[in-house]
Amino acid sequence: MAFVGKSLLAGVGVALVLALAVLFFAWSGLYNVAASQPHWALTRWFLDFGLRRSVETHSASITPPTLEDKNLVILGAGHFDGGCAPCHGAPGGHNDPIVDRMLPAPPELNRAASNWSTEQLFWIVKHGLKFTGMPAWVAQQRDDEVWAVVAFLRALPQMSASQYRLFAIGDPDARPNDGAEIARNGMTMEALTRCVRCHRGDAQPKSALVPRLAGQSQAYVERALRDFASGSRPSGIMEPIAVALDAAAITALSEYYARAADPAPSATPIAPNADQIARGKEIATKGVAESGVPPCLVCHGDTRAPSFPKLDGQYAPYIVGQIEIWKRGLRKKSGYGAIMGTIASRLTDAQARDVAAYFASVAAPTAERPERPIPPPRRGGPRAR
Amino acid sequence: MRDRKRFLRIARAAPACVLLAGCEGVQSTLAPTGPQAQHVAQLFWVMVAGSGAIVLVVALLTAIALFAPPRRRAFLAGDTVVLAGGLVFPVVTLSALLAYGLVMVGAGPGKMAASPVRIEVAGERWWWRVVYRDDAGSAVESANELRIPLGRAVEIELTSDNVIHSFWAPKLAGKLDMIPGRKTALTLSAEKAGVSRGQCAEYCGGAHALMAFDVVAMPQNEYDEWRLREFQPAREPTTQETREGKALFLSHGCGACHTIRGTPAAGRLGPDLTHVGGRISIGAAILATNEASIARWITHNQDIKPGNLMPAFDIFSGSELLALSRYLASLR
Repeated sequence: MAFVGKSLLAGVGVALVLALAVLFFAWSGLYNVAASQPHWALTRWFLDFGLRRSVETHSASITPPTLEDKNLVILGAGHFDGGCAPCHGAPGGHNDPIVDRMLPAPPELNRAASNWSTEQLFWIVKHGLKFTGMPAWVAQQRDDEVWAVVAFLRALPQMSASQYRLFAIGDPDARPNDGAEIARNGMTMEALTRCVRCHRGDAQPKSALVPRLAGQSQAYVERALRDFASGSRPSGIMEPIAVALDAAAITALSEYYARAADPAPSATPIAPNADQIARGKEIATKGVAESGVPPCLVCHGDTRAPSFPKLDGQYAPYIVGQIEIWKRGLRKKSGYGAIMGTIASRLTDAQARDVAAYFASVAAPTAERPERPIPPPRRGGPRAR
Repeated sequence: MRDRKRFLRIARAAPACVLLAGCEGVQSTLAPTGPQAQHVAQLFWVMVAGSGAIVLVVALLTAIALFAPPRRRAFLAGDTVVLAGGLVFPVVTLSALLAYGLVMVGAGPGKMAASPVRIEVAGERWWWRVVYRDDAGSAVESANELRIPLGRAVEIELTSDNVIHSFWAPKLAGKLDMIPGRKTALTLSAEKAGVSRGQCAEYCGGAHALMAFDVVAMPQNEYDEWRLREFQPAREPTTQETREGKALFLSHGCGACHTIRGTPAAGRLGPDLTHVGGRISIGAAILATNEASIARWITHNQDIKPGNLMPAFDIFSGSELLALSRYLASLR
């Protein structure tokens, strides 16, 4: 008994001394936290090991949806180019020497997709990684957006540089070719706030998960951008963009889109189904009395207030996705959102698909013709002196 | 914030005041204003008197059994007393009360005069859809308010297309259930002019407790004038502000659920608002009708009547809200 007691005492003593030594080492400041000094091989191995085990354990219970959808890949590409590529780089791009001096340096992601499973990628994109500089997803409720980025990451290794630019920038050859323009504004093609990357200017967006803005009500676009900026409409994709726009830019943008006509005919990416469209039209014009659904067109038709959006010619998957988000209660924080949230909760999934098919089948909206001339936008914001 | 809290407190207290008012008579079955409710009240008092007398007799017999000297209380054990008090008396008394009750309950409708005034009332969640028809068969809708002429028999046809409700205007008649898929009918009449209040008497979901209505009994000539106005479409707005209010009503989707006859608004999900400004109360007899209460209802109806099926429309600027509520209040 005495022997066991003595050993225990000795063990506790050694542990205490070790702990004090570690504390002393940290206190002394001898450890070099400089990013210019790489980790020792052992530290490096230990950190990688811990990170990988943590991701594997935490992503174990995730079930991925179907990601074989070009719409998801294109949406993910658009966000990647503005949100991820500045650190992780993009196909055909260059390595930013500043980013290269980060420790750990952000990995190039065409390899990342083969290093991690789909579930693990989702977990990393959604939650970020401590001590690496990898941020968490801005809107934690929006798993649908995170999956779009994951779908893109899975498709990335097979993507050529020009295909990437087509998906992510909207145009494989787009670049400012005027030296004076570059000198003044920089390489604006890479700006986060380039809406055309996903929404295009006066044409249909490439992804059916992205709303068409050409011909949309000005008041609605303004309201949407303000809701994104204030976080009352959660989106990891749109919030950072809306926050970067000042009031004058929001007004100018919504004016532009209200007047941009869409010359292209509305082409729905899913095969239109006549029965489904007819059922949707019934709901849009008459509502569903049994479940308390009012007719959509009273608010979204021609006599609507400008602060209500036009739905004509919007892609069906976009409309279905938004109804889904309303049903989950994610858009009810604003006054307008509370109205639609109540109505969306009364639609069945099948009714939502029918109504979306109907609106997608209606001819694209024509440009808004303002009655009074819109004053020219103020030159420069408060920051431009 | 403090204003909002105060407003919520008042909003919550309002129905309680109305309930207390019930004791003063506006919703009291003990203060009848029509023959049907008088029968109910009379039946109640006869039952109270009868059962009171029986309680007294039983108490007396119990006292005798406990405290009287043995010689005096011996008679309680006799066969005659047991048979008379334990068998004959209950059979006779209960049968008499039953017969009286049946006669009283059945007395009303059968004896009413021919050609009654007909009103259709449908139970909604959580309000009352009221339909008046004229002889030509055209119908107008109102909500949460019944107007009836004095001294005439009024036949109320009760329906529901959702859940079971129960129509109960205590000062005028007893309760009658409104059963999905069935029509039930209740006949009542009023002998005194004035406003009384009714309430859904069958639990029907979230806002059941706030599903009430007003009954306005008025002299025949006033009733005829009112009815003439009620069959007219809504009056056109006369001021710039109310015209603006009408435009807001039409452009902000109100017409998807509400009808205002004479305008494109033709929704049927919610109450008809053609003459909403002329009704005593809004929200199914929850708030007195005025500009302020209409504005509060539009923006905060989910705080005033939680769970009601209208979404809160907290989207208007102050001046827009004023224009909209002035317009609605002007629809008399």
